[in-house]
Amino acid sequence: MKKYLTIFRISWQRELEYRFNFALGRLRSIVVLLLLYSIWHTLASTTGTFAGYTQRELITYVLGANILRSIVFGAQARSVAAEINDGTFSTYLVKPVNHFLFVFFRELAQRSISTVSAVIEVALFSFLVDARIFLQVDWRWMTLFVVTTCLALVLYSLLNYTINLIAFWSREAMGPKFLFDWFLEFSSGAYFPMDILGAGLFVAFASLPFFYLLFFPIGVYLGRYTGWQVAGGIAMQAVWIGIVAHVARFVWARGLMRFTGEGI
Amino acid sequence: MSDFRVLKKHFRVWRRLSFLAIGSYLSSRIDSATFLLGKLIRFGFFLLLIVSIFRFTKTMAGYTQYEVILFYLTFNLIDVFAQAFFRGIYLFKNDVLRGNFDYVLSKPVNALFYSMSRLTDILDIVFLVPIVLLIAYTTWRLPAPVTAANVFLYLLFLCTGMLIVLGIHILSASVTIWVIESENFIWLYRETMTVGRFPPEIFSAPVRFVFTFFLPIILIVAFPAKGLLGLLSGPWILFALAYAVAFFFLCLALWRVSLKKYSSASS
Repeated sequence: MKKYLTIFRISWQRELEYRFNFALGRLRSIVVLLLLYSIWHTLASTTGTFAGYTQRELITYVLGANILRSIVFGAQARSVAAEINDGTFSTYLVKPVNHFLFVFFRELAQRSISTVSAVIEVALFSFLVDARIFLQVDWRWMTLFVVTTCLALVLYSLLNYTINLIAFWSREAMGPKFLFDWFLEFSSGAYFPMDILGAGLFVAFASLPFFYLLFFPIGVYLGRYTGWQVAGGIAMQAVWIGIVAHVARFVWARGLMRFTGEGI
Repeated sequence: MSDFRVLKKHFRVWRRLSFLAIGSYLSSRIDSATFLLGKLIRFGFFLLLIVSIFRFTKTMAGYTQYEVILFYLTFNLIDVFAQAFFRGIYLFKNDVLRGNFDYVLSKPVNALFYSMSRLTDILDIVFLVPIVLLIAYTTWRLPAPVTAANVFLYLLFLCTGMLIVLGIHILSASVTIWVIESENFIWLYRETMTVGRFPPEIFSAPVRFVFTFFLPIILIVAFPAKGLLGLLSGPWILFALAYAVAFFFLCLALWRVSLKKYSSASS
């Protein structure tokens, strides 16, 4: 475990090395926040509710999604695919590390910095626009929220890792990753609560793993589910983690057989 | 050399670069197909969001569904057009960093033109087709009739919007010469542009002020749409025209200053 913590520490320092780019990157995030806040604030301002959400719930959803994106998605890294394609991946094969854990801790450093930054941004933004946020004070819902968020983080890391492994078969892994990222953004509820969609579309998206990455944890935070629904959701997260972990292991094993170290 | 011959020469250069770009896209078919599909999904999902919103309301900030869709499509038209033709700017940082810009300066072609147009995004040109068709369909579905004058204003403000976007890309290149670690500048522009996906009235007055005068996204995206909807007054029309021209020439002047500052340190 010590070596993974070292990876975390080194990655943390590296992330903070390019501070100007980091600051500009976070500024981009504020612009997205402003857009989403303005949309939902406008829609709910007339009657105080919209699509079954109170204005406070909608604003909390938007601001919460911004923080949760930093925790769960991080920078949606494509480094694994790039390393496989340029051959630098070979160096990991001779290191006494589990590659998935190596990548997980490397990205966890970036996620941690982004999350701290996102929390500050959201707090500052809320203060500036006088946003009314729903604060969950019931420790049971907060505990369930933390559990669902941790499971979402693991599920996303496995999904992202597996997609990156496409690079074993093709030098063209960036296009599929781009497609995956955008599909993920929308089908996870990063931009809007999924239940504003029609019933048919909602059911279709709910059957995908992405549904459990943002929409479900935020719903838990807002206390919009019954105890049984939360239990069912957590069970679905665990099932998806199991399925994707098996797929990742299979793809990894097959991919290694094809890897030629091209580009070293 | 006459202006016409200069234009003709640069058109030939652009055509040759575009053919090379097509070859590059065709040689990586999986990437190209999935990138195009990703763009379509992003486009489709936002459209779906707008349609879904209007399941619960009749208006958004005073605009009907098709009017909001018009703002969204206009944003896409300008954004995708810039991506299609000015994509080369994303490679500019590496050129400066590695000293390759020296070679660009030594070519018998305008260095700024070459740097911006060296990569034409064919996928975005393909993507422009459904956007234009959807704009035509949306215009037909607008609640109020559209006059020829409205269409003229739409086209005029598309041109001024593109002039400002071109200026922003030139500004990005200039900043790169001063501060090489400025990759996020152009991405900041991209993200800021996204506020143009929806009518400006959803924002508070101070935010609208900033996005009109300092980060002129409203001039770029909302003005063409408002022109088509017949919502622009004479003074605003004059202001937007003057702003676009002044902004463009200011950016061009900054580029010339930056070019003098370029030290070729990396080569």
